[in-house]
Amino acid sequence: MTVASEHQLEQFMDRIDRGEKIEANDWMPDDYREALIRLISMHGISEIMGALPEKEWVPKAPTLHRKLAIMAKVQDEMGHGQLLLRVAEDLMEPLGKNRDDIMKDLFSGKLKFHNVFHMEAPTWGDAGIIAWLVDGAAIISQTMMLGTSYGPYGRALKRICAEEVFHAQHGESIIMALAEGTKEQRVLLQDSINSWWPSLLMFFGPKSKAETGHTNQDKNMRYKLRTKTNEQLRQEFLTKYVPRIWSLGLTIPDESLRFDEGDGEWKYAQPDWNEFKRIVTGHGPKSQERLSLRVRSYEMNNWVREALGKSALASGVGSHE
Amino acid sequence: MSKEENGFYQVFEVFSKKTDTSSLQHQFSLLAPNRDLAFIMAKENFFRREQVADIWVVKREDVKRMSQDERESMKQLNKDYRETKGYGYLKKKWRQYEQEQLTEKDIMGGGDK
Amino acid sequence: MESIEYRNCLIELLYQLADDDFILAYRGSEWLGLAPHIEEDVAFSSISQDLMGHATLYYSLLEELGEGKADSLTHNRRPEKFRNAIILELPNGTGTYLVNPDFDWGFTVVRNYFYTLAKKIRLDSIKKESYEPLQHIVKKISVEMTYHLMHWETWFIQLMNSTPEARSRMETAIKLVLEDFEGVLSYGDLGDQIVTLSLIESEATLKQRFIAELQKKEPIDLSMKMKNGDGRNGTHTKHLTTSLAILSEVYQSIPATEW
Repeated sequence: MTVASEHQLEQFMDRIDRGEKIEANDWMPDDYREALIRLISMHGISEIMGALPEKEWVPKAPTLHRKLAIMAKVQDEMGHGQLLLRVAEDLMEPLGKNRDDIMKDLFSGKLKFHNVFHMEAPTWGDAGIIAWLVDGAAIISQTMMLGTSYGPYGRALKRICAEEVFHAQHGESIIMALAEGTKEQRVLLQDSINSWWPSLLMFFGPKSKAETGHTNQDKNMRYKLRTKTNEQLRQEFLTKYVPRIWSLGLTIPDESLRFDEGDGEWKYAQPDWNEFKRIVTGHGPKSQERLSLRVRSYEMNNWVREALGKSALASGVGSHE
Repeated sequence: MSKEENGFYQVFEVFSKKTDTSSLQHQFSLLAPNRDLAFIMAKENFFRREQVADIWVVKREDVKRMSQDERESMKQLNKDYRETKGYGYLKKKWRQYEQEQLTEKDIMGGGDK
Repeated sequence: MESIEYRNCLIELLYQLADDDFILAYRGSEWLGLAPHIEEDVAFSSISQDLMGHATLYYSLLEELGEGKADSLTHNRRPEKFRNAIILELPNGTGTYLVNPDFDWGFTVVRNYFYTLAKKIRLDSIKKESYEPLQHIVKKISVEMTYHLMHWETWFIQLMNSTPEARSRMETAIKLVLEDFEGVLSYGDLGDQIVTLSLIESEATLKQRFIAELQKKEPIDLSMKMKNGDGRNGTHTKHLTTSLAILSEVYQSIPATEW
């Protein structure tokens, strides 16, 4: 990359401050590009990896309607991955990288994916909790970034958020049926909440450097890539979902959880942030299994991409004209 | 495999028309090894829920796009003489001749009904 | 309804149509997240959803004919009661969709392309003359067939005409698919009655159309068999049993009325 002149940098920051949107081919400081690549490729690959735990439940979904809806939902996750990876790939193009490199970074462990997708989803109750609460958490952080200074990311997020409403209601419908169902179904649901709770708190990332030693949130806020802190997002999540969970007669595995009227915020037991670090660095209960599933699917299909990448058809022989 | 050998990941831009009478709009981009595959994947990637009447795919290479500087220069173009802006005084003038100025509707009204 | 015989034949045909789409939709859904390309994953999933949607339409007609609830027909029916062609129940490759999948994209393209073509020919025949409520359903389904066919045809033709490696993989896949493809074109033991009652044209007529259509695209030898038997008569492989156990795992796990 070129060395930034003071003048270019100043102009760039003026554009950010004026609320202008930066486009893929515009001049941008290297650390802005790096921050975007880190944020968006992680977001994109998390969607792709996020398809895996839910995919386990696609054929097993208990009715024809549920089978169709969860298939459509997991398809959307892949579709969101497509949108986001396209945005990341355009940012990487000047660095001589493409999707193949993103995949290889994932396989080598260089590119991380979201903590929740390292976790087990052993029951149908988990399929409901993922759609209701994990997606609920994702909606909160994604809508926050809709106003991002990077134009292509904002446009991808707009498409993604439009589909999240379906996901949220799909999830609500599953958990509602379980909550109003038989005793066994309620137990199934309660067990899922219990096992997912710490992961949900971790979803938004640590409150500050104090918990994990580093965070990118300050720089991302200066560049207007995001507008709220991790903790603000977590508080929004708690406000939105805790009363709803309680209203269904379900419990949350944290006896200290309460809304403090004086401070105007939720008090909760901190999840184990060391555990968080272990999980996102590939040492979660399902990290290696899901990664190897992804590696295998990429490798077993190598011949297809090679065949069409080398073929004369690549120049575009049209048969649908 | 080096990138030169692997032509699988080509960028295609996807455009669409919502209805037969609407204008073409850019939607998003996708990767495909060639135009036919780009075309069959475009519909389900970007129009699973929205109504769509027509889809075009174009290889990005074949599109001339503006650089940041070129876009900046677009903002500075100011051609008042092509607009109705400078003609506000005419209304008053016509009044002096006891006539109403023809509105846009009056001027355009002679066309298709 | 004209007679008991008519009713039985109609129900038999409906199970064939429904189970074919249902089982292939399942095989398609196993690919979710594992296709050769992310964009293709999304496109393929739409087709699998469409197939399951088509199956649902047939099952609701069976429900109206007193066969039981659609969800029960799909989640609580014994393997030998299934009427799908055996080629559609065979696995996508080795391994499972959860552990060590080694799925074969060539086999998937060939099976889906051949099936889609045969399905379109079958639906066109039903559109001409059959049981009227079935014709209504078939007209709805036919709208989606153009895209399915274009999708699989593009993949088929491109892989057949790319590298020698791809060509050889495709030829192996064609051989494998044809070994059991006769089962898709079969109507089973009730075939003659089904045809006599004008529910659909004869197996031979449809087969001829299928071969003629395919020969136009690729001049390949299309002799076919039913190596593993005729699924229309309830003969199936162990793969169907395994698949149905997965498909009904949650439904069977807790006796509940709402899910």
